[in-house]
Amino acid sequence: MTAPVNDRTDRACLVAFACLDGIGPATLAALVEHGAVSDAWERLESGRASSVPALAAVGRRVDGTETLEGLTAHARQLDPLTVLERHDDHGIDVLIDGDPAFPSRLAGDPSPIPLLFASGRLAAAEQVLVAIVGTRNATRLGCDTAGELALALARRGIGVVSGLALGIDGAAHRAMIEVQGGVADVGPPVGVVAAGLDLTYPRRHQGLQRQVGEQGLLLSEVPLGVAPSRWRFPARNRVIAALARAVIVVESPSSGGSMLTAGEALARDVPVLAVPGHPATPNAAGPLDLIADGAVALRDVEDVLVAIGRGGQALAVPDLAGPGPLDATPGPLGRAVLEALGVRPRTLGQLVTGLDRTLEEVASELVALESAGLVARSGGWFEATAHGARPLP
Amino acid sequence: VFTTIPSAIVVGVDGHRVSVEVHLGNGLPGLTIVGLPDASCREARDRVRAAVVAAGVTWPNRRLTVNLAPSSTRKIGSGLDLAIAVGVMVTSGAIDPEQVRGIGFVGEVGLDGTVRPVPGILPLVDAMDCDEVVVAVASATDAELVDGPKVRAVANLGELRLALRGEAPWPDHPRPVASPPEVRRADLREVRGQALARRALEISAAGAHHLLMIGPPGAGKTMLASRIAGLLPDLDREVAMEVSRIHSAAGQTLAGGLIRRPQFRAPHHTATMASLVGGGTEAVRPGELSLAHGGVLFLDELAEFGPSVLDALRQPLEEGVVRVSRARFSSTMPARVLLVAAMNPCPCGEAGEPGRCRCPDGALARYHRRLSGPLVDRFDLRIDVARPDPEELLGGPTGEDTDAVVARVVRARQRAEARGVVANAHLRGGSLERWAPMEPGASALLAEALEAGRLSARGLDRVRRVALTIADLADHDGPLGAAQVAAALGLRAEVRLGMGAVA
Repeated sequence: MTAPVNDRTDRACLVAFACLDGIGPATLAALVEHGAVSDAWERLESGRASSVPALAAVGRRVDGTETLEGLTAHARQLDPLTVLERHDDHGIDVLIDGDPAFPSRLAGDPSPIPLLFASGRLAAAEQVLVAIVGTRNATRLGCDTAGELALALARRGIGVVSGLALGIDGAAHRAMIEVQGGVADVGPPVGVVAAGLDLTYPRRHQGLQRQVGEQGLLLSEVPLGVAPSRWRFPARNRVIAALARAVIVVESPSSGGSMLTAGEALARDVPVLAVPGHPATPNAAGPLDLIADGAVALRDVEDVLVAIGRGGQALAVPDLAGPGPLDATPGPLGRAVLEALGVRPRTLGQLVTGLDRTLEEVASELVALESAGLVARSGGWFEATAHGARPLP
Repeated sequence: VFTTIPSAIVVGVDGHRVSVEVHLGNGLPGLTIVGLPDASCREARDRVRAAVVAAGVTWPNRRLTVNLAPSSTRKIGSGLDLAIAVGVMVTSGAIDPEQVRGIGFVGEVGLDGTVRPVPGILPLVDAMDCDEVVVAVASATDAELVDGPKVRAVANLGELRLALRGEAPWPDHPRPVASPPEVRRADLREVRGQALARRALEISAAGAHHLLMIGPPGAGKTMLASRIAGLLPDLDREVAMEVSRIHSAAGQTLAGGLIRRPQFRAPHHTATMASLVGGGTEAVRPGELSLAHGGVLFLDELAEFGPSVLDALRQPLEEGVVRVSRARFSSTMPARVLLVAAMNPCPCGEAGEPGRCRCPDGALARYHRRLSGPLVDRFDLRIDVARPDPEELLGGPTGEDTDAVVARVVRARQRAEARGVVANAHLRGGSLERWAPMEPGASALLAEALEAGRLSARGLDRVRRVALTIADLADHDGPLGAAQVAAALGLRAEVRLGMGAVA
């Protein structure tokens, strides 16, 4: 743990530094370590940035004086105290490593996390959290699985941390939001985002992000109003990995953000669990790679509990997400359809050809399966839901 | 001395009669053309003068005034040359006015007196409404397609003058007999596998339902689309005449006969709005949409077309005509087409299958922003076409051939005719209760789809029409069954705009 930054001007200057392009957590940490952040800010404003070691390093990194001049020009447009007040006005907590309220799991992280912005219940960061991450372009089955896991964990009082991205991340949080109201002692949702907390990326998740902030906690390393640059996303992933007691990868191609999160988790000795999929599906490649490398193959939520040392507790709550399938027992054709969809999504055309039935027969069956909640339609493709993918009685 | 010679011009696809009035009076020698001629038309002055002299007529040394009536419409092109030349010959005394009475003239003249063909001969001859028309030799075959007038073909002004004066018989030039190019019809039998897509083609052809095929590169979308024109029945005489007029107005020679087969037009995605819907600043020309009238307009790579170009299609698709309006004129052109479109689900081509696309989010959003919801809504049939399995391609059974399918399509269209429309897609929403009643199971299915948000209210009638076509193809009488409605629902995939429809 580093020395706390207590002086308000120093805090304001640190936030202002975080607003500048080209200044990341490493530079901020170096500034804090060096002390006298407000002095560094003054030097930057007056064009003497190269006399501050941490800033001179920024100049060297990206080739010379031009960068420092750019920083100076940008800095002159900012008033640190105004920037800090803006965060206060928005009800955003500014957390600096060393503050009493700074999340304990992030303090002293191997890759420095010097500064965080938070909105919501700070206590959520101190609860037991499990990360659920995965690809943005997920299948229906993947989203269902993420949602069910999130729900099962929440009902055991375990919070779920994720990145509020499209696909798996969003599905995990969305499922939790539905269960939050009314039930006591459920685990909170924690969202770590790569943009300032007044922005939403992706925009489609505006509502979801707001709800996570209301019912749990939103964290970001980025000050208000700052749009996410490309490098912010992998940086965000390391915060997720550092907060979590275990990281679950639901669906992912063999490279991508979720695999980076898994890597960050391994670097911190956080257990990684992967939901195995069929090798024919592209989104199974990531989890299968992880399992081959020694990650735990996740079969149900019990595997997660064991990984975080809470195994063997009695299950007081039903395990299923949402309403179960209607009392539908598919006939032979329905079973054949579900079997075909169990491996990977299919178009109507592929089903008609593969099952060698007429369009009318297959279409009628699909409509029945869809209203029973066993099959979901995505454009012209049909997918099994989590209910539909389970072995039938 | 004054004379009036009938002729015509083309605006859009319609001919308009023009009276060419020629007056020879006192004044400085010269020829003035009035009555809103454009540049190409005003140039007739110089062409006509040389041509008349070449025909052996002495140019009158007095003032000639040519008025093109009605003088409010703009006259474009060189088709009035011949009428002006004849008018000059009549007023200068080289031909007796009685000898041209009731004869219409259309054609361009060369400096040596040659008579040349002009585009749009079909609507032109139709509009002149004369008992006898004189055209260029190359135009004669097309001109004869119009019922009524006696067609005289001349090669040059000299022989025209002799024939009009009765000094020589009308020349009997051999008509150019260009038999229509024998297009090899792409047969449906050559399509292996793709059972559902074949079915969709059949339903689309039978009910005139617009069809959108979404699939990765190599799935066979273009191959399938090129077979759909072959599934449409021959055009009836009225539509064949309309189609022939349109093609004539676009400057095509019809090569011996009305266009009887539905056309298949596949404009490239760089097409401009004017080339697709028709228009132009000076002369209105029919666009691809009108050239495909009665047939198929195929838009490959739909999302690559300009968004404004695509949106310009919406009104014509609904009304069956294109209305082009410019400051000086407006024109209405027939454009009742079967729209068939194909597109990749995303730039990488794999987004159709959930969890497979690897396009960046922004690229996907940009790609889908090009398609407007209202346009997508025009497609009654929207299917995803996946790449066929290799076994299917190599060893699979060949499907039915085109003729077998055409027989069913014709039967289905006959059933539609009994309802007072050409095809089911043209049934009005209000008449569906009468023509497409549903069994309770079928309406329950639609009600559920509506409630679950899987179907929009706009889509409801469209699904019903498609279900009716499916029933027609199966010779099914009585109310629509749940199976037919389910099939129609299955063939109407929501076009997902962007990935992650679920989360």
